[in-house]
Order: sequence, then C-alpha cells, then structure tokens
Amino acid sequence: MDVTVFAQQIANGLVNGMAYVLIATGLTLVFGVLRIVNFAHGEFYMLGAYLTYFAGTLLGLDYITAALLGAVVVAALGVAANKLIFWPLRRDHEFTILLSSLGLALLIANSGELLFGADPKYVESPFADEVLDIGTVTLTQQRVLVFGAAVAVLVAVYLFIRYSRFGKMMRATAQNPDGAALTGINIGLVHSYTFALACGLAALSGALVGPTVMIFPTIGNWAVLKGFIVVIMGGLGSVTGALFAGLLLGVIESLGGGYISLGFMEAIGYAMIIAVLLWRPNGLFSTARGLR
Amino acid sequence: MSTHTTAPTGGTAAGVPGGIPGGTLGLAGGALLLGVLPFLAGNAYLEHLLVLWMLYALLALSLNIIIGYLGELSFGHAAFVGVGAYTSAILSTQLGLPPLIGLPLAGIVAALFGLVIGYAALRVVGPQFAILTLGFGSILYTVTNHWVDLTRGPMGISNIPPLSLGPITFAEARETYYLVLALVLIVAFLCHALVNSRTGRAFIAVRENAPLAASLGVNVFHTKLLGFVVATAIAGVGGAIYAHYIKVITPDIMGVHNVAALIIVVVVGGRGTIAGPILGALVYIGLLESLRVAGPLRMVVFAALLTGTVVFLPGGLVSLWSRWRGPRHAEGGAK
Amino acid sequence: MSTAMNAEILSVSGLTRVFGGLTAVRDVDLSVRAGEVVGLIGPNGAGKTTLFNMLGGSLPPSAGRIRFDGADCTGLPSHAMGQRGVSRTFQITSVFPSLSTLDNVRSAAYRTTKAGWGAAVFRTAAYRNEEADLHRRAMENLAFCDLDHRADVLADALSYGEQRRLEIAIALAAQPRLLLLDEPAAGMNPEEGQRLVEMIRRIRARGVTVLLVEHHMRVVAAVCDRLFVLDHGVKIAEGPPSQVLNDPEVIRVYLGRETVDA
Repeated sequence: MDVTVFAQQIANGLVNGMAYVLIATGLTLVFGVLRIVNFAHGEFYMLGAYLTYFAGTLLGLDYITAALLGAVVVAALGVAANKLIFWPLRRDHEFTILLSSLGLALLIANSGELLFGADPKYVESPFADEVLDIGTVTLTQQRVLVFGAAVAVLVAVYLFIRYSRFGKMMRATAQNPDGAALTGINIGLVHSYTFALACGLAALSGALVGPTVMIFPTIGNWAVLKGFIVVIMGGLGSVTGALFAGLLLGVIESLGGGYISLGFMEAIGYAMIIAVLLWRPNGLFSTARGLR
Repeated sequence: MSTHTTAPTGGTAAGVPGGIPGGTLGLAGGALLLGVLPFLAGNAYLEHLLVLWMLYALLALSLNIIIGYLGELSFGHAAFVGVGAYTSAILSTQLGLPPLIGLPLAGIVAALFGLVIGYAALRVVGPQFAILTLGFGSILYTVTNHWVDLTRGPMGISNIPPLSLGPITFAEARETYYLVLALVLIVAFLCHALVNSRTGRAFIAVRENAPLAASLGVNVFHTKLLGFVVATAIAGVGGAIYAHYIKVITPDIMGVHNVAALIIVVVVGGRGTIAGPILGALVYIGLLESLRVAGPLRMVVFAALLTGTVVFLPGGLVSLWSRWRGPRHAEGGAK
Repeated sequence: MSTAMNAEILSVSGLTRVFGGLTAVRDVDLSVRAGEVVGLIGPNGAGKTTLFNMLGGSLPPSAGRIRFDGADCTGLPSHAMGQRGVSRTFQITSVFPSLSTLDNVRSAAYRTTKAGWGAAVFRTAAYRNEEADLHRRAMENLAFCDLDHRADVLADALSYGEQRRLEIAIALAAQPRLLLLDEPAAGMNPEEGQRLVEMIRRIRARGVTVLLVEHHMRVVAAVCDRLFVLDHGVKIAEGPPSQVLNDPEVIRVYLGRETVDA
C-alpha cells in the first residue's frame, strides 16, 4: 500500500467528514433539544449553497461575505419554518412531526428547482483553485477552509452551549422540557434559537462545501442522508457522537472509494450504520436523555 | 359516577382501523363501478391512467400495512417495489422465464429482502426506523444503479415482455387494469380479514401501545416483522406488474420521489383504512396528470398536500366521510 | 386451573436489580399463593416498580430467580410472561388510545384466542364462533368493570377514572392467572377507591391471584391478605396487614418520609 496515497485518502476523508459533522450537528441539536427529527434539514444546506451562489453572482459580494449572509438568511428561514410548522405541532405525535418535516423537505427542494432551475451551478470561491501542500498531502485551499472553518465553528458552538446563558437554557430544555418551562425558561425562544443555530450551521456547511462540488436543487437529499447516518451512528442527540461518527464516516468512505469502488462508496455509509445499529441499537454514544 | 369527559382528540395516531364505510351493498356497487370503468373511459389514455391508479392503490395498500396498522413509517418501500420489478424483468429478459412465473418470484424475492431488512431495522422504532429504512432503500438504489452487469445500471432494462396467462396477454391497458383491479380487491379483502382477526388486532395493539401489547402476550418484534414481510411481498408483485406493463424500468423506480409518492398516497387518502389508500391513489394520479403542464410545481403541490393533510386532516380524505356522517361517532354511546 | 388453591403460584428468590452503581432491588425473596391478594408497599423509591417490571418481564433481573406456576421464568421477555398468564397494569395510565373501549378489550384477548389471519380470510366455523365468543366475553368484561355503557367511546375520550378501570378490563381480558396492579388507586378519590376495593375482591372471587403496589393504605388494608414491605430495595417486613402496619420498623420507615394514611 502506497503511504502517500493512503495519507491523501485519510486527509480527503477528514475534510469530507468534517463537513458531515457540521451538517449533523444541527440535526442532532434539533433532536436533542426539541425531540424533532427534521427531514428538511438538508434543504437548509441546499439553500445555504444557493444563497452563497446568488449573493456572489447577483449582488457581487465576495465569497466570505456571501457565505455569512447566506447563513444568516437561512437561519432566519429556519426560525420561520419553526414558527409555521414545528412550534404549532410540538404537542403532536412524532409521526405527525416526521411527516410534516418530510412535506417541508419536498416543498423546499421542489420550490428550489422551480426558482433556481435544475441545471447544476458552481459556487465561485477564490480558494477553489489554489492548492496547498502539507507534507505529501495536497489539498485545495477551499478544502482546507472547509476543515478549518468547521473546527472553528464547532468550538464556538461548543462554548456557546456550555457557557452562554442561552446554551444553559438549551441544555435544561433537552433534559426536561416541562421542568425547564416551570423554572421560567421561555421554551418558544429556545425553539427559535435552536432552529436558527441548526439551520445556520447547515447553510454554512452548504456554503463551504459548495465550491468543491457542483450544486443542484436536490443536494439537500444527499446532505440529510449523510447527516442522518452520522447522527444515528453517533447516537441521536449526541454532539460528541456526531463528531466522531462524522469523521469516521468520511475516512471510511474515502478509503472505501479509493480502494474498493467509487460507485459503491455511497452504500458504505449505510452498511456502517446498519452494523452499528445491530451492535448498539441506540448509537455509539447514547446514554440517557440530554445534550452531550 | 364521574361526569368528566375528555374531549375526543383529532386522532393523533392513525384513524379508526378496519371499517369499510358503507354496507355490503355499497361495496358491491363500488366493485361493479370499478369493473365497468374502462368502458366509461372510452380512450386508451384514460385507460392507462386507470391502470396507474390501480397499481398505486395496490402499492399503497401494502405500505398501509406498515404505516396504518403497525404504526411505523417506512421510507424504503419503493425499494421493494423496485426489487420486484427488477426480479421479474431480469428473469423474463435474461433467462426467458415466462412472466407468470416471474410474478410470484418477484413477490418472494421482495419478501426475502423485506425479511432481512425488517429483521435489522425493526429493532428500532419511530424516527430511527424511518431513517434506517431510508438508508436500506438508498443501498438498494445505489447497488441497482452500479451493478451494471445485472441491472444495466442507469440505462435500465427495456423490452420487458408483457404478462400472459394462457391465451390472454396483458399487453393492453384494459386487460392489465382488470388484472390489477383483481389484485387490489384481493389485497383489500386480505386487509379487511386481517384487521378483523387476532393477528390484525395484535398489529393495531402494537401501533397503539407496544409495551401494553407485549404485556398481553403479543411478540412485538415478530408481529412487526410479519406485517413488514407481507407488505414487501405485495410491493414486489406490484412492482413486477408495473415492469411488465410499462416495459421499461430504471433505478428511478426506487428513488426518493417514488418513496414520497407512496407515503403521500397513504397519508392523504387515510392511513389505517382500506378505502383511504385507494382514494389517495386516485387523487395522486389525477393530480399528477392534470398538473402535467405545471412541471416541477406538481411536487410542490403534493408536498403542500401532504403537510396540509397531516396538520389539518390527520385521518386523511376518508375521515371527511365519517365527519359528514355525523359527529356522534366521535363521542359515541355516552348515556 | 392447573394450580390448586393455596399452592404457591409465584416464588421469587434473591431477586436483585442494579442500575449503574445503584442497587434498586436487593436480594428480595417473596412467595404468593394461588388465590391470594398480596400487597407490595414501601416509600417512594423503594424499588416496587422495578420489582414489578422484573416480574412482568419488561426488565431482566441482575441476579436471582423467578418461578411462576412451577416453571423458571427468570429473564423471560414481557410477551412470554403475558403468554404464561401474568397480566399487568402500568403506573401511568396505559390503554390503546384511538380504539373504542370495546376494541381495547377485544384486542387485549390475544392470549385467549386462536383463529388468526388465515381463519379470518376463509371465515372458518372456528373463526366465526371465536369472534362471537370474543364479543360476548368483551361485553361481560366491560360490565364487570362498569364500562359497558361506554363500549363505543374512544379510550382517549374516557375520564381518568374510567381509563383506570379500562386498564383493569384490558388486563382481565387476557384471562390471567396472576394480575399485577401498579398503583391502581393513584389519583382516585375515596369513593373511587372504595369501588376499586370491591372490584379487586370480585377479581379474586374469579380465582385470579393479585399482587398490587399501592400507596393508599386504606385500600391495601381493606383488600390484602398479606403485605410485603420494601425499603431501599430490601424487604423489611411481611405478614398480614394488621401485623405489618403496626410493625415499629415499618412505621419508622413511613413516618420518616410520609404518613401511613396517605
């Protein structure tokens, strides 16, 4: 086995994995805090990528500003989706919530196809074509940015949940929503903030990954599937679990794609999730209810 | 005696199971109407739509066993339709097997896939089960797409011969319609018998309250597995008929669009009922065709329809019927 | 009935359950004879529900043995205990919410029916007889629990007291040998509690052995032949109610936390 190729595969896998972690963190936050499985999560990823594209082409903004603007707008859209659908249904059966989030996903994806057109687009980034050599490993600056920005954002999210007043409210709600409401925590506000954070993270990952691939209106599907694999492997509601599972998935996919077959790479993730679930039905990092 | 009465909820779980609205007379009338429909249709295009309606009704009735009776949401049902379609298509085009043998084999192969996948996925419930079935469905889709030697990959399989039964060949829409109609009526009767039997009451008990069902002696896992396998077998047969009727299949039959379509049919029509999936299929095919000019807007309409139904009419379109018949059914027999 | 009256129907020895580092139930022995009504009491957190969950099969014991009707049932899953004739109610009201009261009881008769899907498809004589019999038994059962006039109402729409009676009707529909009642009087007013006492007496008169967890000492004293007292997962007393409720140790355990006549 060639060490150079192997190191390159690992590096590629870690970059992909970090993007998965970013997608999955929002998904697992929404589940951990609000007990909502949001099938529309991937659509916010798609919107993030497209808004970055349009902010660049139509408004002439530079890539970084466009990405940040995209994330903020999508966070606001996430709050709107929460107000219109998830908040009114919060006392309903999980079935209802699951189905309406599926409806929302179809709605956004197909509206996207109507508005943006079905043909693929390229998000312009000044880092996309510049190459960086790290030892024997070669990565584009954009892929280094994906990794670096994701790490920075995840650290910020961690500190926010751990130490901010609002993060404490989120954790209290995750442990016991009724109890949290009794102690005077505004559950409606927790809902809104959690959705803003989760959808903003999804949009940011879309904006970061966008320049490394083609984007089209159905990528939300791909994103939510990757997110779910990571979240289920890591344990629903576990942020730490999502981190390890995401990196693991990225690396294994990369190695599998490099050494076995690129075509079946997509199936590897599902094979992993099934193996994990047969071994530990609640995921690798699951314990009791709450945010970890 | 307590006089306090909780207001009946809109039914957060599925609607009242089993009951076919109307008496035997209504049923006979409905069957008769379905029987003469092709003659009323008058042209090949409408007859083609009738076939699609019945095919979707058949597939939706099978998915309804999982969603409506077992109370689990499967996002992988289209994959089993695809397994059945590919099984029969490959057997008839590559091995030259008569489609009449391919049809039951399609059901058996789909059921075997259902057995293995159900055995793994039914260990978890709720959202996790839904996501897991989505994952299994995606594996089957990916493999179908990439195993070019067997499935011809994204090109799909074409020139699939029509079904034939002795002297009758189901090449035209009208014959196929009667074949699928017969299957729909058989499956509808099987579902009716199911919910009126000990087995079906166990299904519904598991849907309503699994720990309580278990304490009464119901093996929850085996019950769910039975329902899942039966549903996948029917889906496989439906897929095979589809393949022989349309004559071309591609991996798209297993795609997310088809998954969503089947769920929409069951939920919009009315989960946990027999008339619901049949009615839902009519609405789906009707809208699909009448909105053909609207292009991608169609799926937006369907998505809105799904979300709207879930939120405002949890029992689906058939629950309008019982609402119209009078509210006494909701409150019922209180003295 | 294969077990004669007064023969031992349930015997538990050395039963222990550990959660993480916490021992919820420690080395408990108890035995119940056929036809008895036995109470299991103790302060909150004493391990009563944990013990119940082990007897009902929803929680595997960490150590110890459970024998029911002469056979070793240790670690059997919930449905296997149900099939052997152990029915239970739950601490939090547990019914089939979107079914009618009648369908709740019909669905609950799984153990005592045989005709499955195939029989229903071909409408065999056995199936038709069984369905008619099932309906008759279900109505009798509802009458027994004073719910026959509510047969067509959705379980969700019943009052709290009615739902608690429906739970018992559901458990009885399985024609159990042993009935486990988990705080059946919780949330009931004194009048409803009195009705419950009469109902348990009638259940016993039908030959069903009853083991109940209960906080209402009036109910316990009125209906139980014998009591077991748990504290911190350990059995601290057993015997007839008159003796146990006057036991200084039991009084100390209760007075430390709550009054006996709660």
